[in-house]
Amino acid sequence: MSHEHPISPEELMAYADSQLSADRTSQIGAHLESCRDCAEAVADAKALSSRLATWQIEDAPEPLTRSVLAALETRPRRNELRSAVRLWTKGRVLAYGFGGAVFVLTAVAGISLVQRYREMREYDTQRSAGLSAPEEIPRTWPFIATPPPPPPPAASPQGTIGRLSTAQQPVLPSSSTSGPLIIRSVQLTLVTKSFETARTRIEAIVQESKGYVDSLSVRSEPKSPKSLSAVLRIPEMTLAASLIELRKLGEPKQESQNSADITGQYVDLVARLSNARNTEQRLLALLRDRTGSLKDVVAAEGEISRVREEIERMEAERKNFDNKVQYATVQVEITEEYHAQLQPPLTNTGTRIHNAAVEGYETASDTILGIALTVLADGPAVLVWLMFLSSVGFIARKLYVLIRARRLPGTIASI
Amino acid sequence: MQSDEQLMLEFKGGSNEAFEELFSRYRNPIYGFFRRRLNHGARAEELAQETFVIIIRGVERYETTATFRTYIFSIALKQLWSERRKGLREARTTEMSLETGPSTDPTTGLWIRDAISRMDPDHREVLMLREYEQLSYEEIAEVLAIPLNTVRSRLLRARNEVRILLDEQSMKGVSR
Repeated sequence: MSHEHPISPEELMAYADSQLSADRTSQIGAHLESCRDCAEAVADAKALSSRLATWQIEDAPEPLTRSVLAALETRPRRNELRSAVRLWTKGRVLAYGFGGAVFVLTAVAGISLVQRYREMREYDTQRSAGLSAPEEIPRTWPFIATPPPPPPPAASPQGTIGRLSTAQQPVLPSSSTSGPLIIRSVQLTLVTKSFETARTRIEAIVQESKGYVDSLSVRSEPKSPKSLSAVLRIPEMTLAASLIELRKLGEPKQESQNSADITGQYVDLVARLSNARNTEQRLLALLRDRTGSLKDVVAAEGEISRVREEIERMEAERKNFDNKVQYATVQVEITEEYHAQLQPPLTNTGTRIHNAAVEGYETASDTILGIALTVLADGPAVLVWLMFLSSVGFIARKLYVLIRARRLPGTIASI
Repeated sequence: MQSDEQLMLEFKGGSNEAFEELFSRYRNPIYGFFRRRLNHGARAEELAQETFVIIIRGVERYETTATFRTYIFSIALKQLWSERRKGLREARTTEMSLETGPSTDPTTGLWIRDAISRMDPDHREVLMLREYEQLSYEEIAEVLAIPLNTVRSRLLRARNEVRILLDEQSMKGVSR
């Protein structure tokens, strides 16, 4: 075969392998009739193929058939398994991400709601106890369009509340009814570290305020903390300063103040008292200026005595009013710190369980809050990293599939 | 007679009978593919089984972008390469050697086997795909992911090479 042959060796080989088009096959066939070298080349190629074909392999063993057909029988289960394993499809990743975001937002909102609720409860408790309210107005509830509760009255420098601003004015004379007459009472519960010091200070405070101790009792029993219960009468003018001093005796646990307006009662009492005095004066005038039978004189004196008794009773009542208005009643309960912190001894198992449940709830809330804060603090960075790694993984997966597709054409990439 | 691709689509649709037909068509060719290239008959059987299992598992994503013939031999070739890499790691020879292989004609089969085993690997693969798997030039190009002209040139050189090797063996045999 020389270089002048119009047909290349590769084409002759392809002719021998029947790998040419029909036209080219007929052209080469015609050439072979006139070219002995090319015909020999084709014959050699066919002979070689025939020789190679003598290397035969036995049929596939029967176990192969059984094992493949057995695998075929498990096909549905395998597909189910594959679909179950393919958890991280694109759609599922989006669904998982969305679900996770919703969960985090719900958790954060729920925790925030619980936290606000607890703050509101604490605020309400303080307000109802009459303790000094926090300076800041409570924040509005999240997601709830209701207005916040009205802010507590501004605390005076002495820490008093409500109508104390008017009550702090000098008490009107008992004969005057130009201003409101207020009877004030205060209940104060304290927990002190030093019981004896507190007791001593109470007497000193009362003395400094020009008041007096109405009653005082101390309870001290073995294996029991000391407690003190006292009713103090403090002049209205010095009540605010005295309360400040009393609060310093320990940690206030409860404080409440009440005010009662007795102006109407007082005015009525004064009017009745005036009338009674006028009646007494008229009866005395009648007895002095008029003459009559003994029976009439005795009747007039009896009436004067009744009116006098009534006047004295009303005078006493008025003095009592004056006393109550001028001296506020302060009821003080002081216990040692130990008792206040540990609560009264729990003998009821149900109570213990209840308290344990409350503590557990608070601990769980704090834990969830901590987790939420961590998520809020670090979550964005973690999300950024996850997005970055997911992108890298996605690109790597695509490249891997492309490489496999190039190495194994057709649908091999789907293996 | 249904084509391989039609049977594969039917198998994808849930017909196990279609796969059984495909298996009957390709059981011996695939087993022969591995058996000619590996020494261990048991391993050849395992790889043939794995090839069919891969087809079973991947049927849901099968698309007729290529002939089934190309598809299955591509999988088989991939399995073979994987086995060879594994053999290199385990430092054991899984490829053809001079030990006695299966042949209906021990003398001829042994000579051919020996000659082919001494060929250039690239030439040998093209030659075997053509002579024993009966793949067309286009199918060989597709399976090996090489250009069609490369297939032709390699095949021509492979035939020349194996012819020389066989002639050498014949000479040795005569001299003996």
